Amino acid sequence: MAQVVFSSWGRNIIDNRKGGEAQEATFRLPVAHDGVTPMAGFMGWDGLILFDAAVDVPQMAAEYMKRVQTLYCCGKCTPGKKGTKVLSDLLAAVLEGKAKESDLDTVPDLAELLKNCKCTLCQSSTIPVFDAVEHFRDDFVSRINGVKSDKKEHRLIHKYTAPCQDKCPAHIDIPAYIEAIKEYRFDESLEVIRDNMPLPSVCGRVCPHPCETACRRKNVDEPISIMVLKRSASDYEWQHNLTPPMQPKPRKSQKIAVVGAGPAGLAAAYYLALEGYPVTIYEALPEGYGGGMIAVGIPAYRMPRHILQRDIDIIASMGVEIIYDTRIGKDISLAELKEKFTAVLLAPGAHRSKPMGVEGEDAGYKGFLKGGIDFLREAYMGKPTGMGNKVVVVGGGNTAIDCVRVALREGAELSCLVYRRSRKEMPADVWEVDGADEEGVHFEFQVLPTRVIADESGQITGVECVRMALGEPDASGRRRPEPMAGSEFVIECDTVIPAIGQDPDLSFIPADCGIDITKWNTIVTQYVPLKGADGRNLKDGMGNELARTLITDLDGVFASGDAEIGPLTVVACVGNAHRAARVIQRWIEEGKAYITDDELMEDILTNLPVYDKNEQVPWLDSANRAHQVEVHGKERASQGNYQEVELGFTNQQAVKEAERCLRCYRMAMAAVSQ
Amino acid sequence: MVSLMIDGKNTSVEAGTTILEAALAIGIKIPTLCWLQKVSPTGACRICAVEVEGVDRPMTACNTPVKEGIVVTTQSEKLTAIRKKIMELMLVNHPLDCPICDAGGECDLQDNCYGLEVAKPGYSAVLERRPIRYDWKLLESDPNRCILCEKCVKVDHEIVGCDAIAVVDRGEATIIDTVDGKPLNCDFCGNCIAVCPTGTLISKPFKFKGRPWTFDVTKSVCPFCSTGCQIEYHSKDGRVERVTSEDSTFNEGNLCINGRFGYAYLNSPERLKTPMVDKKPVSWDTALSTVAERLKSFPASAVAGIASPRLTNEENFLFAKLIKTTIGSPNLDSEAGLGFSSAINILKNQIGIDGASATIDRIDKADAVLVIGSDLKAESTGIEYRVIKAATKNDAKLIVANMRTVKLRKYANSYLIYKPGSESSLVMAIAKALVDAGCKPAGNGADSFLASLSALSMTELASSCGVDEKSIRAAAALLAGSKNPAVIFGADIIRSNSSAEAVSAVANLALLLGAVGKEAGGIFPIDEKNNSLGMIEMGAVPGDGGLDINGMIDAIENGQIKALYIAGANPLASFPDNRRVKLALETLDLLIVQDILANELTAMAHIVLPGSAAAEKNGSFTTPDGRVQELQNAVNPPEGAKEDFAIISSIIACCSGDAKHQTLEAVSDEIALANPLYGSSVNRTTSAAAFEPIIIPAGTASPELTLLVGASLFHNGTSTLYSENNVSVAAEECIEFSAADAARIGVSDGAGVVVKSDSGSIGSKVKVSDNLQPGLLFASYHSIKLNAASLLAGKANTVAVTVTKA
Repeated sequence: MAQVVFSSWGRNIIDNRKGGEAQEATFRLPVAHDGVTPMAGFMGWDGLILFDAAVDVPQMAAEYMKRVQTLYCCGKCTPGKKGTKVLSDLLAAVLEGKAKESDLDTVPDLAELLKNCKCTLCQSSTIPVFDAVEHFRDDFVSRINGVKSDKKEHRLIHKYTAPCQDKCPAHIDIPAYIEAIKEYRFDESLEVIRDNMPLPSVCGRVCPHPCETACRRKNVDEPISIMVLKRSASDYEWQHNLTPPMQPKPRKSQKIAVVGAGPAGLAAAYYLALEGYPVTIYEALPEGYGGGMIAVGIPAYRMPRHILQRDIDIIASMGVEIIYDTRIGKDISLAELKEKFTAVLLAPGAHRSKPMGVEGEDAGYKGFLKGGIDFLREAYMGKPTGMGNKVVVVGGGNTAIDCVRVALREGAELSCLVYRRSRKEMPADVWEVDGADEEGVHFEFQVLPTRVIADESGQITGVECVRMALGEPDASGRRRPEPMAGSEFVIECDTVIPAIGQDPDLSFIPADCGIDITKWNTIVTQYVPLKGADGRNLKDGMGNELARTLITDLDGVFASGDAEIGPLTVVACVGNAHRAARVIQRWIEEGKAYITDDELMEDILTNLPVYDKNEQVPWLDSANRAHQVEVHGKERASQGNYQEVELGFTNQQAVKEAERCLRCYRMAMAAVSQ
Repeated sequence: MVSLMIDGKNTSVEAGTTILEAALAIGIKIPTLCWLQKVSPTGACRICAVEVEGVDRPMTACNTPVKEGIVVTTQSEKLTAIRKKIMELMLVNHPLDCPICDAGGECDLQDNCYGLEVAKPGYSAVLERRPIRYDWKLLESDPNRCILCEKCVKVDHEIVGCDAIAVVDRGEATIIDTVDGKPLNCDFCGNCIAVCPTGTLISKPFKFKGRPWTFDVTKSVCPFCSTGCQIEYHSKDGRVERVTSEDSTFNEGNLCINGRFGYAYLNSPERLKTPMVDKKPVSWDTALSTVAERLKSFPASAVAGIASPRLTNEENFLFAKLIKTTIGSPNLDSEAGLGFSSAINILKNQIGIDGASATIDRIDKADAVLVIGSDLKAESTGIEYRVIKAATKNDAKLIVANMRTVKLRKYANSYLIYKPGSESSLVMAIAKALVDAGCKPAGNGADSFLASLSALSMTELASSCGVDEKSIRAAAALLAGSKNPAVIFGADIIRSNSSAEAVSAVANLALLLGAVGKEAGGIFPIDEKNNSLGMIEMGAVPGDGGLDINGMIDAIENGQIKALYIAGANPLASFPDNRRVKLALETLDLLIVQDILANELTAMAHIVLPGSAAAEKNGSFTTPDGRVQELQNAVNPPEGAKEDFAIISSIIACCSGDAKHQTLEAVSDEIALANPLYGSSVNRTTSAAAFEPIIIPAGTASPELTLLVGASLFHNGTSTLYSENNVSVAAEECIEFSAADAARIGVSDGAGVVVKSDSGSIGSKVKVSDNLQPGLLFASYHSIKLNAASLLAGKANTVAVTVTKA
């Protein structure tokens, strides 16, 4: 295990410079930032870490402050603008031997004064500099005295981020778009959003908003309503009939094919089109049903179709052709695509329902539907769903919730959700579960379906279930639900919809074409092997390698979205696809599929992470989180009523909510061997 | 209400109030630099830091809302130290050019340094200097003096809606600059100068005109548009050198280019200074007695007068008295006769209101605003500011209907571009869609209104105004359910081809919406001139059997009118068909012109009486929303010129042989007697309102090209043509074409064309504009050289034209 030479990270001082018994410390940082080049030092909002004693700390501190001041300081508050200028010039003078030792006193003085900054960038930038001067004072003093440094020069790579921005899989510059709203600049806000999110109306409505779990305002009171603010920016353009300002670059010649008009396919197409590449998307569903899982998986009362269509139309207007009603592997082969296009991006999504594993599910009973996602798609497309009057949906995710709520709107008398764990363990978003509750959905928690019951004609009449209780903790410490003997009962119903998950249908990829598929049925892509101090590869939350280039083993074919990550979220697909678009561009223009230092740092920081839920954030909690207006009452789920349930903020509400933002920008910088 | 304690004092304020506001309310002043009440909080300077018990960092008072039970300290050793150090940082690299800085003596940075006893440079950094922008017009920007308070950017964005300047760059290099780095190209309202706490943004015309404290400051009323802004003239040595406005005024300190920079016409070399009779300079006595003598030599019925919305109420009252009583002629009118007078009459008859139904501040709090047939920014800029405020700060739905794309477009939730001449159809289409959306008319005439509305075909209405039905219904949906709607209409309604029907339609729509008599909103007629309503209410309108403005011209041509007295107007500049007017005036036996600036009209007058400008007199103006505001003379009229009040009063004296000169006070009393709206306790209340029958003017075949003549933002009337400030930024006047028309005719930007109507033809350059629908041309009327109004006929502001390449 690599030993830490010095660390002040998290205000916890570890100093192994003087020998003696080494104090241990581990950080969620890779030993080599690119899998090869050792990381020698790291500086950021929470302190300074040295892995290599040869790092020139004064030089690193000076460069850190210079970059903060000249590249990122917004200049919009006096202490930040002037304080970092004074510090930056002071540290430069130290390196040049032009400062006095007493000048170093300015560092603690300004570190204290800059606590009065408007946001956290400049304020937090004084922390590692303060630590450096405090703990490496001799190095600074000898530079002041004109002694040449005997340290090695390192390459310094920085990354500007914020906890929310880091946590957002699409890495939207959230503080910037919130600040724009605060300044009544909804149009500029949307421009910032679109830099990383081409489906703003969608992710302004149905995003599970992981960003809000990493919002520092939460450490004061409640997180900023980041998602609804995104909707505000997006709706503003629509509600004012404004023309989106984006202009694609001049048209290039290399054509790119994208498989699937879902969030990943649309996002990659958008960014490639902006770069001037002609993109053709092949979509299996007919025209009017673009959007992939957003369209077929998210009901219209959460995502009104005309608004989704507006986002799709805007993407198309950038120079993206969408060919509907065309399934790869059936209407056109992958080999043909590869032949016709310079690059191919596979983003087919995960639309195949998983089996439940219950007796009778494959008996072909009438009333046993194929799967939740199929039910939602058919309901949305106005096709017969096969649903009767009494519906039981099995599962605990968002799709299951969507199914019970759609069942009500399709006219079900009983809409019942069966889940084997408790309500609070449901993977579905809490607000979705509450929404279903309000609409009159019947819940059966801690219940496991064991058998589908049908009459002689093969029509389902009920589903037999058993109640579950928590057993002894298993190896992971988690108590597994176990059936309670004798608790069997029957829920009378005529329809059963399994909604326990989806996986990608990758049958269109020929077995021998060179593209590998994981055991979870996702497409294998190449990656940078980042290893932690324990020698293990760093992984993302889905168990994938942390830093992936998204090119498959078949040159010129890339993969993105649920089919690459595993079934996740719109925002994860968009972030992943945006990176895929960049890599595709590099592959076309430079002949290499790689990810940049900036992208590596992005992944490294996500793994670190940036947000610290234990941080004490001194602030007056005098402004409560705003809540959007919502249509209430059972009528909102009456038959055929797909009217939007959540209505967004008024602009005044949005501005007030934006004013709560603490603008938690910060900069990290890694020193790597040259 | 939220209770809190500040510096040991208990107080209770509304939730959402900031600590700063709560402190101010109990007389505790916290130092600020970047805080500006009328815009969103910025929190840039950080000197309003206060301590809140239990919060382990100072909070900025300007943007921190209060919380129940908090204990706030605004003065402590710790806070003083923080504030001083922040000021010391602010001074890092700030130029010490106070001796020659224009803001010297009125600089918030100076005041705060002084107040906080910041006497030493606490910090230092490598000096960086940024270029001073000498290449901007009317404004100069020295970014080195900037403290990044962002007030200018916020006023520009939030109030004016111009977005010309922004915070650009990063770190120490951060400055306020134009968005594209090019020389400033904006509305030139100068509101950014007004809010700049330092000498960063300064007025070029005012630069080095004197130290601020050496000027006399006179509170008065802006003499340009119908907003009626409260202003202050800064004068020295008999010259007005700048105009400002305090944030505490009705207009919250916001002005437009005319209000802030238009004053330069006062100092124009073209000011009239000598009375002339038959083109020879004469003494005032001679001039006045000649006027009286010659006027009396005609039968009263052969005399006519043209009054002016530029003159005060008192002057108009006296002028009406002179023409109608002393001379005894009913032939008195003004440019309001082209439409505004009739609009006011229609509102009075139909809704029972005198002018607007409420004061314009009620627009701020409207929840839906319909602006129809008005380029508000050009016609009455300050009212556009209020619409922007309603739309952005009060979540009002904004519906704009116009023939062109105007600046309000970007705020509009619905923007309807209608065909010229289809105003009534459009308004009734909206009314019909409103009724379909569940809006129920109430009150007198509602049933028959509803009946005749249902007889109209939506499809036909929509097709005749060229707007698709879906858009009309969407607009109506935004208005339906509004609790406090505002309906604002301007020149394109008031001077449309069928203006009576159009104004009546708008009034019906306002009644349908219930816009009158609500807590906020109302119906607001817009006029481009400042005292049109006052002039009308002073009786400067045709008497019984008297000729209106168009009738006068006919009567001059047929020899019925032989003597014409024009006070403060120039029909040759902006009147329809004014070449014909000129020919007519040339036939007069007597043309008396009382004005302040030399022009074509004064050159042909038999008698010229040099009058005075608003800055040079006392009296009052009445805005179209019924605010009677007093002006005060800041400077004297130029040597040789006279106050208009004195001129008219002397002429009355000469004519009537009554040597007693009138005083302003006496005339004010007379006015109060003559018009109860000017009595001691004035309350403009509404009387009975009733829907009027719907009249949709019969459609005529629309011409291939229609020219619309209207106002421009950079001028007001023709007086600002004499303001070098306005002239320096106003583009050369030319005729605007849609790209489609330009292509069809085969012309491009800058090409010469001849535009011809039944009234005559003019030559102009072409400007291709995105703001016009095909078939519509636009020209502003201000330029005497272009004289687009000469193509018009009758009262309307549109005319059919043909265009040929020059």
